[in-house]
This record gives sequence, C-alpha cells and structure tokens, in this order.
Amino acid sequence: MVHQGSMEMEGVVRESLPNTLFRVDLGNGNIVLCHLAGKMRMNFIKILPGDRVRVEMTPYDKTKGRIVFRMK
Amino acid sequence: MIKIKTPQELKIMQIGGQMLAETLREVCAHVQPGVSELELDTLADKLIKEKGGEPGFKKVEGYHHSTCISTNEVVVHGIPSAYVLKEGDIIGIDCGVFYQGFHTDMSETVRVGNQKSDEMDKFLRVGKEALEAGIAQAKLGNHVGDISKAIQDIIEVQNGYSVVRSLVGHGVGRELHEDPEVPGYLRGKIEKTPELKEGMVIAVEVIYNMGGPDLAFANNDGWTLQSKDGSLAGLFERTLAITANGPLIITE
Repeated sequence: MVHQGSMEMEGVVRESLPNTLFRVDLGNGNIVLCHLAGKMRMNFIKILPGDRVRVEMTPYDKTKGRIVFRMK
Repeated sequence: MIKIKTPQELKIMQIGGQMLAETLREVCAHVQPGVSELELDTLADKLIKEKGGEPGFKKVEGYHHSTCISTNEVVVHGIPSAYVLKEGDIIGIDCGVFYQGFHTDMSETVRVGNQKSDEMDKFLRVGKEALEAGIAQAKLGNHVGDISKAIQDIIEVQNGYSVVRSLVGHGVGRELHEDPEVPGYLRGKIEKTPELKEGMVIAVEVIYNMGGPDLAFANNDGWTLQSKDGSLAGLFERTLAITANGPLIITE
C-alpha cells in the first residue's frame, strides 16, 4: 500500500514546554505540538519562543511535528 | 529509525515475496474486459491464503480488502468496487502479503484488453523503465536520493509525465510502512538523504500521472486518491533488499 510522504512547513514558536516540546504556530491558527529533532539536540541548537523554525509533519497526524531547522 | 534485517529475516521475506509475486502475476493475467474489481480482489485473497500467507493490507487499520485497485484516473488506494473493467482501461493493482511476521508490498499496472494504443503502451513502458532504473541505483553506498533522481529523470525529464509528490516509497519489514521514505522525486541534496546500508529493505514505488502531479480525494471514502486534472495514473512497486551484491528483489 502506498505511503503518504511527510512535508515541511514553517512556523513561529509560541511557547516552550518541558522535555524540549514546543507549541509552534504554523499560520492560519494551526498550533502544533512539536519536539526537537535529534540532530538539533546533538549539536546543542537552542530554540526560544519567537524563533522561526521549519517543522516536518506527517499527513497521518496533523497535531504533531518535529522541529528540524531554526531560521536566522 | 531504519531497521536492518538479518539474513534469516530476509529469507522469510523472500518466501513471502515469492507468494506475492505469483499472486499478483496471476491476478494480472485475469484482467480482461468484463471482470469486476471485486472479482480480482477476491481472487487475490484466495490465492494468498492458498499459498499460506495472510493478506497484508487487511492489517492496515480501516482497510478491509486484500488489494488496492486503482482504475484510470485513480492514483492509489482504490477500494475494489463492483465496477466492471472495459476495453482500454488502465488498472493499477497494489497487493501485500504478511508471512511469519513480515510484510511485502508489490504493485503492477496493466491495460485491459488488446486494443493497440501507442500512447498507453509508452506510458506504461516508461513507468517500468523508471522502476528498473530506480532499482539499479539501490546498491551499497548510494543514497535514497540516487533512486529518487533516477525515477524522476526518466518520468519527468525524459518523457514529460509528472511524478506524484505527496506519495512515497517506504521501508518494509514487521510494519508495512517503515523508515526511510523513498520519494520518486529528488528532495534536497542527494548526500543529505539516508544512506543505503546492507540489510535495509525498501519498497521502491513509481507513482506518476500523465498530466499534473496534484491529487484530490475522491469518492468520499477517505481512501481513494485521484489525479486532480483527471489524467491517467500509473503505479509500479517492488520490494527489494540492499545486499553486498546489489539489490535483491524480494517480490520475485
């Protein structure tokens, strides 16, 4: 059976929660619960509320995402 | 997380893959004008059980058939219905087998009837070529992006069709869909896509439309996806393992 691929979206971090979870606003009022990607943890990249980030999301669960990039 | 399969697990998957290949070939041989989609699905179900496997798609939550039958402008996940095939239809049959804990996944697209059509024959031939080119790139040391680029080159660059962007190939194993995603188009730089290691099992899928790449949900059943502009769609898929001697096609 064919699998639907994941897609990347941009958003702004609204609040930070414990365990490197963040609420990210993707625009149009979509607020998604995101966790920090392992690669970013390994390289000690910090995320604060107000940062613009790129989030990887799966079409199978639109309420969760993974933060993969912090924009300048 | 990309799971590596041991040689014993690969042997189990090969047995399941052979069952699937034989089943799918027989179902394709049965495709004729006047046969309904449900008949093909029932036939596949019967064959899989006779050979000692379980229909893998029935393990997917919310899906109750053994195959996905996608006719004409339906791209993927067509639920088998009472629709009777007519001469000139293009039918994509996607099937999966679950055997001793492991899934295998395979698809083939065929034309119904014997009417000559150079355009259709070319459309299907291009899909098969793209699949073969993708499989040839599936060797140790390459990246998933090499497979994606090979498929996209043949389908889009050389022949002007469109690779569907929202659907991808995938890893196969104890789950039907595992990491990594194997898109049919190059996403980012090749070196940044996952590296192919020995023991990885992936299902390389070529999903393409004659017209544009966009899809839309159809039939309000939550599954069927068809091309947004109504153009015909092709689907080819094989499950293969990465070995030291090159790609080993499991669904053979």
